[in-house]
Amino acid sequence: MPGLRRLYAPQRVAVRTDPQGAPTLVEGTAVEAVREEWLVEDRWWTPQPLRRHYFELATADGRSLTVFRGAGEQRWYRQRA
Amino acid sequence: MYVELHAHSAFSFLDGASTPMELAAAAAAQGYPAFALTDHDGVWGSMEFAHACKGFGVRPITGAELTVALPVDGTEVPLYGGESSRRHLTLLVEDEAGYRNLCRLLTAAHAHTRDNTTRSQAQPWATFEQVEEHAEGLVCLSGCARDGAVAGAFERGDTAAGERLARRLRDAFGRDRFRLELQRPYWRRDRARNRWLSLLAERLDAPCVATGNVHSHDRRRAPLQDALVAIGLCETLEESEPRRRGNSTSALTSPGAMAARFAEYPEAVAESERLAERLRFDLTQQLGYRYPGSEDPGADAELARICNHHLGERYSGNARLLEAQWRLEEELAIIRELGLSGFFLLHRDLLELAREVAAEVRGPESARGVLPPGRGRGSSVSSIVCYLTGLSHVDPVEAGLFSGRFLNEETSSMPDIDLDFPRDIREVLIPRAHERYGRDRSALVAAFPTYRPKGAIRDLGKALGLPPGEIDRVAKTLSFYGGAEEIERDLVAALGPQRAAEPRWRALLPLATEIMGLPRHSSQHPGGMVISTRPLIDVCPVVPAAMVGRQTVQWDKDSCADAGFLKIDLLGLGMLSAVERCVEEVGRARGERLDLSRVPLDDEEVFESIRAAETTGVFQIESRAQMQMLPRTQPRDLDDLIVQVALVRPGPIQGGAVHPYIERRKLRREDPDYKIPYEHPLLEPVLEETLGTIVFQEQVIEVAMALAGFSSSEAEGLRRAMSRKRSEEAIEEHRRRFLAGAAANGVSEEVAERVWDKIKGFSGFGFPKAHSAAFGLLAYQSAWLRIHYGPEFLCSLLNEQPMGFYPPDSLVHEAQRRGIRVAPVDVNRSKALCHVESPQEEEVRGGLQVRIGLGYVKGVKREEMEALVAERGRGGPYKGIAELASRAGAGLPSLELLAWAGALDGVPADSGSERREALWRVGVTGAGRVAGRGTQLALPMEPPEPPRLEPLGEWGRLIADYRSTGMTVEKHPMKLLRPGLDPRLARTSDLERIEHGSGVEVAGMVTARQRPETANGVTFLLLEDERGSVNLVVPPPVYERHRPLVRTAPLIRARGRLERREGTVNVLVSDLAPLQGRPPTAADGTDPRPLPGGREQAVAELRAVAPAGHCFGGRG
Repeated sequence: MPGLRRLYAPQRVAVRTDPQGAPTLVEGTAVEAVREEWLVEDRWWTPQPLRRHYFELATADGRSLTVFRGAGEQRWYRQRA
Repeated sequence: MYVELHAHSAFSFLDGASTPMELAAAAAAQGYPAFALTDHDGVWGSMEFAHACKGFGVRPITGAELTVALPVDGTEVPLYGGESSRRHLTLLVEDEAGYRNLCRLLTAAHAHTRDNTTRSQAQPWATFEQVEEHAEGLVCLSGCARDGAVAGAFERGDTAAGERLARRLRDAFGRDRFRLELQRPYWRRDRARNRWLSLLAERLDAPCVATGNVHSHDRRRAPLQDALVAIGLCETLEESEPRRRGNSTSALTSPGAMAARFAEYPEAVAESERLAERLRFDLTQQLGYRYPGSEDPGADAELARICNHHLGERYSGNARLLEAQWRLEEELAIIRELGLSGFFLLHRDLLELAREVAAEVRGPESARGVLPPGRGRGSSVSSIVCYLTGLSHVDPVEAGLFSGRFLNEETSSMPDIDLDFPRDIREVLIPRAHERYGRDRSALVAAFPTYRPKGAIRDLGKALGLPPGEIDRVAKTLSFYGGAEEIERDLVAALGPQRAAEPRWRALLPLATEIMGLPRHSSQHPGGMVISTRPLIDVCPVVPAAMVGRQTVQWDKDSCADAGFLKIDLLGLGMLSAVERCVEEVGRARGERLDLSRVPLDDEEVFESIRAAETTGVFQIESRAQMQMLPRTQPRDLDDLIVQVALVRPGPIQGGAVHPYIERRKLRREDPDYKIPYEHPLLEPVLEETLGTIVFQEQVIEVAMALAGFSSSEAEGLRRAMSRKRSEEAIEEHRRRFLAGAAANGVSEEVAERVWDKIKGFSGFGFPKAHSAAFGLLAYQSAWLRIHYGPEFLCSLLNEQPMGFYPPDSLVHEAQRRGIRVAPVDVNRSKALCHVESPQEEEVRGGLQVRIGLGYVKGVKREEMEALVAERGRGGPYKGIAELASRAGAGLPSLELLAWAGALDGVPADSGSERREALWRVGVTGAGRVAGRGTQLALPMEPPEPPRLEPLGEWGRLIADYRSTGMTVEKHPMKLLRPGLDPRLARTSDLERIEHGSGVEVAGMVTARQRPETANGVTFLLLEDERGSVNLVVPPPVYERHRPLVRTAPLIRARGRLERREGTVNVLVSDLAPLQGRPPTAADGTDPRPLPGGREQAVAELRAVAPAGHCFGGRG
């Protein structure tokens, strides 16, 4: 719709993962710890089903980041929490 | 190794998407050595689960997730908050004391669930103190991640309260039997919560245990689990997001995957196995149930004394005395051997109680006084002990009934004694039985209504946020049964292919298939009652039922049977009530006292009507299928009728018995020396009465014994394997033994295979002969009353609705065609119920007519009707409408409804006024307006003369009749429509004269629809016009073309071929159309008045109000 802009839209980020699929590097910054990890599977009854694997991370530079990957996708997104 | 200690089945009611059987099978497939079922606030599915688990080699653990109301902090006396203070605790049974405590806690949790005025089921909960008092023998886990007593506090940010609760629980259960429950539902705060819980565990010095909180046996059920939660909350999927699980990880997964999920807490995983090792309580073995009388040492002697006493009475001077004595001895010996004497005495005691209740309900003067309080049905009727103790009214020796199905030496469960009572007696008897045996020692059996296509579409459609209009349209076209493909076809037919392809409708289809057969809620079995010597609440939780004064156990009849509970079936049988009402009405209207036990059983007029299929309203043989059969089987006596009742059942139909039986009867009629072609001479003695076919359930047993040398208990095992919990492996094992046994008897393999196929086709879905004997007698008695006391019989059927095959409108039309006069509802003549009265004119048959009761006027309150009748009794007939309103106190809405129904036509007396005028008068008097909390009575001032109002006319009255009472006693709608219809349309009475095979077109109202599962997709419609009814046979291709029409249209026109066979007439339909007829006009000479709103509108109006035909899914 013209004139409307979605707030907090997820942004693409570059993520490197370990063999179990947990992020180790986000945008070049090392991941210090995985604080939380959760799954959202919803809206399966609509044309846009939602299936996301989320990670809440503490990075080496002291930031807290939430990133997710869509099911069957290799692309990662950063979510402003 | 991880063991699952927290799982929900569909018996968590709308919070679990798999049956206990599916969970047990999946647990076995995933390699679990043990598995716990912990449904919300109940053990509804536990018995089924325990047996299923054992069958798969998994050790079942019994438990429940109990809802607990937490005390509000800081109050001296415990104070419980609202719903927000309710939390969950997972309770697992360690020993018998623990099971007892669990049952008591669950009973307490449900005790208040029906305290509201509508007695609708509220959320169960127990108090925290109750949990503390019943801790013995139970292991307590601290509860689930979101709503758990302890973890829930963390979720809500009140960790201090969580810790206080955890300490109280540890103190109540002891360190040994309290665990902090760790879960990993893949929610955002999992890690933080589990860290807090594990630290708390250290502080409390109590171990942690990992659990999965399973909600389905397979990941693919996760969408259904979501939908169920939405249904439970009456919300859409979108709205219910916060309460749904959010992902599919609550599905059952392997022990290895679960251990990996808790990689940070290996001790919690190990603890699940250690705990499971300790939880050794076995629900299938350790219930400790006994029925009253089971330990009475004098029971054997007492039962023998009673039986011998009555034996002398009933058989004295009878040639069969010796045979009866021999049978009695044999039965008593088996009963002694099985320790069941107390069981029979208890039943007799209950029947005595019923006798007292019957005397009370019927009143001392009632014509029904001579009738027994109830009758046996089912296989127990074959027992001479039941006959002598009054539990059955059929002499099994005289009737040649075989009792092996009811009683045999190796029977593994309690025999079933079913007792039928008239509805009114049963209503009083059930609470009285609770009083007699103690409310804590008796309860009704539960029943679990399961999802069927219509309900599935309605509930799921709402959850998916689909438009209510569309849901309704689809639901109305669905049949009672039907798989995914059928539902999809109906969906496309109702909404069109484009709309049906929308994502939400597409999403609904798989869900509708999966939800089918899952329980929706708990309810009560129609009359099964369990009685115990020790408090029932120690063996199964007891919960209040929807009806006041009733309570149920948490198990259904199958679980109760598996538990070995003594179950007594007190069933309400509509026809028994109708027959009793009829006897009473005959007494009232004619002053005759009928004794049904003395009715001659060979009344030729009765059998003539049965052979001509004039059986509308007659018990069991009134259905469309039975009417088709009667002219072909030509029953001549009660024995024939007993076979007839059993013949139209899925067993004989699928076992291929029906056509050979009909054919052989015909050949026998034509040639009395005709020799029945038995499959083998060994079968002659057991199949003689049914002409070589298997019609009765016990014939399966007898055939297996005669042909393959089975013992009676082996044969009973075969019958069971084929019925309830059908097991292919078990059937195959029986087949092997059957063929081997038959070979040993010199039966050829080919014959043995053929007989086996018949047994398998029968599959136990038939009546035992004893049951048929009881039903056959009632069928005869009702046919006898229909012939000899027509008005009273019609009246009693109308008063017992809903019952039987035909809607009241059809019953009335059929009776009118037989010359029985039916008078409309009239405020100066009708009672609340229909009754038989003497009219002024004496030309009416028997001088009597049926007056429709005020109860048939929809929407008028019962109290208002009763007050109206009572006041008329006190002060005489109502002379004016204002007088009526002021005397009886009926409110304006009720008077308007009565005016529409024509009940005020004769008021004021002698005015000859019509409905519109009556309505005008009601309106002008301002009668009985509702004011404040009561109805403000009108002044008895008659309104002025009404203006000249156009009367409604015949058509208008017809519409008003259907709208207000669902029936008309005036002209049949087809009679009114006929002049405007295509003259080529045949009337049902014309069909007699039309040749077999001719093309024919008929039109009428659909009074019944049937799509029997046994008929390979053929649908039957019963079409009624002003002259009678005809059976339409709709083959699958025509059905597919006209699906909504076949399913729902009240008025149709059908073209097809006339088929006549041995006295029956059918129309094999090739095309169908909605009836578009033209309603009557002045030119037709039927009614001079113009139609309101034009012709098309008038027919559409009839379509909207015509009584819906009865629909039957599987009845034959």
